[in-house]
Amino acid sequence: MGQRFDVVVVGAGHAGVEAARAAARMGRRVGLCTPSAASVAHMPCNPAIGGTAKGHLVREIDALGGLMGEAIDATGIQFKLLNRGRGPAVRSPRAQADKRRYGAWVADALRREERVAWVFGRVGRLIVRGGAVRGVELESAGGERIEAQAVVVTTGTFLNGLVHVGDRRTPAGRAGEPPSQRLAESLKGLGLPWGRLKTGTPPRLDRGSIDFSRFEEARGDEEPVPFSFLTGRIERPQIVCHRLHTTERVHDVVRAAIDRSPLYNGQIEGIGPRYCPSLEDKVMRFPHHERHQILLEPEGRDAREIYVNGCSMSLPADVQERLVRALPGLERAVMLRPGYAVEYDFVQPTALTRTYETREVKGLFLAGQVNGTSGYEEAAGQGIVAGINAARAAAGADPFVLGRDEAYLGVLADDLTTKGCLEPYRMFTSRAEYRLSLRIDNADLRLTGRGRGVGLVDDRRWERFEGRRSRFEANVERVSEATVNLADGTRARAPRALRRPGTALAELARGAGLRLDVAPGQEQVDLGSVETHFQYAGYLERQKAAMERARRMEDRRIPAGFSYEGLPGLSLEMVERLGAVRPETLGQALRIPGVTPAAVALIGAKAGAR
Amino acid sequence: MFATDDTIVAIATPPGPGGIGVVRVSGAAAARVAAAILSGPRRLEPRRATLADALDPADRRPLDRVLATYFPGPRSYTGEDVVEISGHGSPVILRRIVEAATAAGARLAEPGEFTFRAFLRGRLDLVQAEAVHDLVTAVTPRQARAAFDQLEGTATAAIGAVEEALFDLVSRLEASLDFPDEGYHFVDSGTAGAEVAGLADEVRRLIASSRRGRLIREGRQVAVAGKPNVGKSSLFNALCGVPRSIVADTAGTTRDLVTETVDVAGIPVTLVDTAGVRATGDAVEAEGVRRARGALDVASAAVVVLDRSRPLDEDDRRLLSETAGRPRLVVVNKRDLPARWTPDERWRAAARDRVVETCLLDDGAAETIRGALAPVLDGETPRRDAPALSNARHVGLLTAAEAALRRGASAAAGGAAEELLLADLAEARRALEEISGKRTPDAVVERIFERFCIGK
Repeated sequence: MGQRFDVVVVGAGHAGVEAARAAARMGRRVGLCTPSAASVAHMPCNPAIGGTAKGHLVREIDALGGLMGEAIDATGIQFKLLNRGRGPAVRSPRAQADKRRYGAWVADALRREERVAWVFGRVGRLIVRGGAVRGVELESAGGERIEAQAVVVTTGTFLNGLVHVGDRRTPAGRAGEPPSQRLAESLKGLGLPWGRLKTGTPPRLDRGSIDFSRFEEARGDEEPVPFSFLTGRIERPQIVCHRLHTTERVHDVVRAAIDRSPLYNGQIEGIGPRYCPSLEDKVMRFPHHERHQILLEPEGRDAREIYVNGCSMSLPADVQERLVRALPGLERAVMLRPGYAVEYDFVQPTALTRTYETREVKGLFLAGQVNGTSGYEEAAGQGIVAGINAARAAAGADPFVLGRDEAYLGVLADDLTTKGCLEPYRMFTSRAEYRLSLRIDNADLRLTGRGRGVGLVDDRRWERFEGRRSRFEANVERVSEATVNLADGTRARAPRALRRPGTALAELARGAGLRLDVAPGQEQVDLGSVETHFQYAGYLERQKAAMERARRMEDRRIPAGFSYEGLPGLSLEMVERLGAVRPETLGQALRIPGVTPAAVALIGAKAGAR
Repeated sequence: MFATDDTIVAIATPPGPGGIGVVRVSGAAAARVAAAILSGPRRLEPRRATLADALDPADRRPLDRVLATYFPGPRSYTGEDVVEISGHGSPVILRRIVEAATAAGARLAEPGEFTFRAFLRGRLDLVQAEAVHDLVTAVTPRQARAAFDQLEGTATAAIGAVEEALFDLVSRLEASLDFPDEGYHFVDSGTAGAEVAGLADEVRRLIASSRRGRLIREGRQVAVAGKPNVGKSSLFNALCGVPRSIVADTAGTTRDLVTETVDVAGIPVTLVDTAGVRATGDAVEAEGVRRARGALDVASAAVVVLDRSRPLDEDDRRLLSETAGRPRLVVVNKRDLPARWTPDERWRAAARDRVVETCLLDDGAAETIRGALAPVLDGETPRRDAPALSNARHVGLLTAAEAALRRGASAAAGGAAEELLLADLAEARRALEEISGKRTPDAVVERIFERFCIGK
């Protein structure tokens, strides 16, 4: 045996870095395995973090003590709060990232963690004995073995990755990097269920070859809203993106070459995400659309590469070039690299518990795209929860599970492990039944205490949070007791006045001479959370009642070894699904497609779940 | 799912008026619920029938003089604390007692739920639990719903239409929230409120129609069947006293299901006048025939009408064989015309069949039919735990859906955020889905991708 760690993390993408840092901060010695430091927290697809629901995930990761929020705040080049004109529950931050600087920032942050040791090399095999993981073996000539109590596998699209550009097929995890075939075999040997998915990315163009004056500008917010609760004001100058649209001519090029698209000629078997349709899909499946939106996004403040958002495709390179040049303003565009589709193996996450540990092998955790998700934020969100749990498993502590009513991170873990993936999974706000409670303005109130409880939140964050929480409580109390003048001359209690749509707390307080406690640079969070607390009081109250009803089902645990076979009244199909998912609670059982309420009542009675 | 730890209530005797009717309350709060709805003794003594008045929850006036018996668990039908209240058998009064119990905190039992609880608590063995098997393999009250669905195709279709419109609106609203930067215009927030108000009105109309007795039908269902032009509609009209179906000499004129509740010896009987059962090429008529078969399948008894003045043919024989296994009355009609056949010669009645020969256009025909039908119904034993109140449950859910829709409409009109409107719409959808028995976890996301081309 060579080195020995408490936790080994395989892969240093967005899941891996969160897992490694979380475990290290919780006091474990962590070995972080990656082929090279150059690809740490790499963004192989779009140069952006956040977006609807994804921005929520980042805020939650931050509230728990994760990296992603601070990393994007420190390096982002254009910030925009989406759904600004809508309700507070669906407002979500998004930022254009400087890919190189983002990765470098994260790598630096990890270098500062003294308990994280870098292991440069590719992992070829997991060492499993007696139903528990014992470590990993490197692919290198000597087959160096690394011992660990818990292993977190975050290999993204690398497991048997196959990149398609037209009829050119290259085994690769992503463009230019070899896939992990041996590790895939090793994982399959453990008896985990597998599937194959597909995702894609658009071509990159050379900035110098584009006539930007021909396009509409797409700018960020004047006043950037940060992701992290630790970030003050973001003063960095912001870049401009550009918007254009496809034309009939472009659609003609696609249609003429459609039989050369691996997506349409049967070359690709994996299932792609419908929320991220390829250009081929847009043209073929929605023929009545005259045009589709494209955004030109720089991959960094001074990067040469321009990401062509909206043009993910896998047509042959010559067709891609012709197609790009058919766009007005891109006649002379130089394509630095073509778009491509990548097929990869993933583990059906129904084989995991909500801590991301496999039920088959104790101490083995899987997080990120390897579980069938897509998106950096979804990956990071699994990474941090898996990292926390790996650290706890290594120390023999209880699992750390977030509920659906507590966080999008809870929705993510529950959806994945209960329903599995039929296509790459992306978070949407509509997936959260308690959406009104899971807002970006209260992510810290919901989760920072949980993060502190497991030892992930450091003193600096905790002190800041305590200040923020006491301001929140004081402000809520002051508003509760205040009476204000309404526009029509009558007086009303402040909470009632706030329930009228469009009433802003700041203005109301100013008008009433009500002093609120706000920290400099924290107006957004300090005022926003109090305002929504009152505006949504009625709805939150009703939602709370629904949560409590559901909680009763969530609190009723089904014993791990419970046998569904031979239970009178369950159909064979139900027995099979229940056996595959092995729900931990009656609430989870109820969410398995095809399992009826009466069946769950029966299980509850027979399992003695109380 | 249904909880197994709350207190449930339902009418436990077969539907329809009888000498007595029993309302059963089961669960930890059974005694408390009983105390709240009965006047008289403070406490019920275990296993002793006690005289009391059941009180109307609205005005606390006595509804009925009843006998109440308390069976503490585990020695009771379900194994839980059970109170059985025996009243005087009028369905209206029994239903009111159930309403009083729900007002006092009990939940309306799902069909079969008493049996289900008895099984869970070990009061029934595996053989008895066969009934539970049916229950568990179906989506909650589907079996109960089958009869309702087939007989009331129009009502469920109307609920389905509201559900679909609501689902569509929710999908568009959700898409607008989750994909704000797609350059799409999914929904006009100004018209969303009006759309929701329209749906609320639609639900209100459904509730109103159910109150008129179109949606809630209690008692027994009797299918009136026969091939075209043998006189089914005449029989129907004779029993109802008013013309309800079109009576004409052209075969196939009764294309829709016409239902009416009539009194047969004190039993409310829902007659279902089916379209002429025969092979047909006409699409509208074919639909009528399909519904007629549905009605035949779920009815608890059948009246088969035959025409004595025309030869007995294949269609008649098929009908006779299809209804052979169930309680039935065979009406041999058109006694006023020359007979082409007689029952014993062309067709032999089974021992349990009742046969009358009549002319349905005669004045006394109605009384003849009533007299012959009553014993047919007497021999029939409806299933225990039958969902006599499942339709009342539907009305309750519709009322909840309407309330949520009204809240949403007024929120939208007041300029509230879409996410609040969506919270109300989600509540309305949950209520409607409970009626239809559908569970649609990720349906909204599915719909969005089906309809819109979105994503980077």
